[in-house]
Amino acid sequence: MEFYYYVNIFETKGLEYLLLICFLVLFILLVRYLSPPIKKK
Amino acid sequence: MNNTAVIVGEFKRFIKFFISELKPRGKWLTPFNVISIPIIILGIIILYIRFTQGLGSVTNLSQQFPWGFWIGFDVVTGVAFAGGAYVITFVVYVMRVEKYHSIVRVTVLNGLLAYIFYAGALVLDLGRPWNIINPIIGNSFGYNSVLFLVSWHFLLYMIAEFVEFSPVIAEWAHWPKVRKFLTALTLGAVIFGITLSMLHQSGLGALFLMAKPKIHPLWYSEFIPLLFFVSSIFAGLSMIIFEGTISHRVFRNLIGEKSHHSHEQIILGLGKGAAIAMFVYYFFQALIFIHQEHWALINDFWGYWYLIEIIGFVLIPCFMFAYAVRNRSMGIIKIASVLALVGIVMNRLNVSVIAFNWDAVNKYYPSWQEIVVTLMVVFSEIWVFRWIVTRMPVFNKEK
Repeated sequence: MEFYYYVNIFETKGLEYLLLICFLVLFILLVRYLSPPIKKK
Repeated sequence: MNNTAVIVGEFKRFIKFFISELKPRGKWLTPFNVISIPIIILGIIILYIRFTQGLGSVTNLSQQFPWGFWIGFDVVTGVAFAGGAYVITFVVYVMRVEKYHSIVRVTVLNGLLAYIFYAGALVLDLGRPWNIINPIIGNSFGYNSVLFLVSWHFLLYMIAEFVEFSPVIAEWAHWPKVRKFLTALTLGAVIFGITLSMLHQSGLGALFLMAKPKIHPLWYSEFIPLLFFVSSIFAGLSMIIFEGTISHRVFRNLIGEKSHHSHEQIILGLGKGAAIAMFVYYFFQALIFIHQEHWALINDFWGYWYLIEIIGFVLIPCFMFAYAVRNRSMGIIKIASVLALVGIVMNRLNVSVIAFNWDAVNKYYPSWQEIVVTLMVVFSEIWVFRWIVTRMPVFNKEK
């Protein structure tokens, strides 16, 4: 089985951008989730 | 009295004090001692055979598998576990987050001992161990080798960590002036240490860049250095949580009242950091997976093994950390830290041993002697750690 084939770096760009956008959105949600809720006075 | 006489007198006092400190304290017949002493003795015997009769007499290493369990676990995994020291010193001394100040000493001690023992275990795995000094003394420097960088970094980082820890030694030895001088060096040593640590954590990953044809494609990537660096952050944080939990129970009487009260807050803060680092690491892995078009590799044994590592021991502990921090659940945070540590062991062993020469006809399995020596290294480190924390003011309690 040959694993070392030529990789077209543009072929997966769309998916990579989508993943990155998902990451940024989820990262903000994670940080907000991890921050303790502010107690109302 | 002149200065020389003062120094000689102080030196004599220290030697006397040091000898008195060498005397064992506490009970001898504890479960840990009963298990560790026979293993350490057996390990010493095995090491004697290894150094007199060669690597082949006690290990399953060969020309095809020159790097085995000693490198994979002791060096590559052990150094990742020591990552907590540079993360915590950065947070406390550079970011000035005082909340974690009470765990700096114990974390730096852990890091220092991990480097001395685990990186020191490199000597065991060298066919000609006396050549270990070559990158330092300039006999065939090997400027182009990643090992050149790693060996210099290990040495310099051990010195930096020793300087960071040295005020504790001066405090223990009752040398207030020396302590003041050494404390002044701490910030410089911390910054130097963080720089070195970031570079050699990734440098350990860079060692495997030249082994592209040997590592299974699911674990090989040109981003291995970055993955090793990011994973060392949560490995170190998880190790602090794991080790801190045990220390908190075992050395309860040595820990100051203030540290007892702040323990929960510290663990929650570390869990938060680990969750974020694991989240970032998971997305790096996903991005690399997509970029390298590995879809076809996922539906066999190696693919399932890869998914167990990434989902079972990265994504799940990440969610567990997040849930535990949000709900202040100390139990879940401790389980998550153990899972994260298992994940790091799996990842480092996959890259360096399990998925290395994955398609070879003859497989490598560590011999029982290799496992005993690894246990010996771990137990020896715990013995030294215990000796130091029961004598020096590591847990911030005035003695």
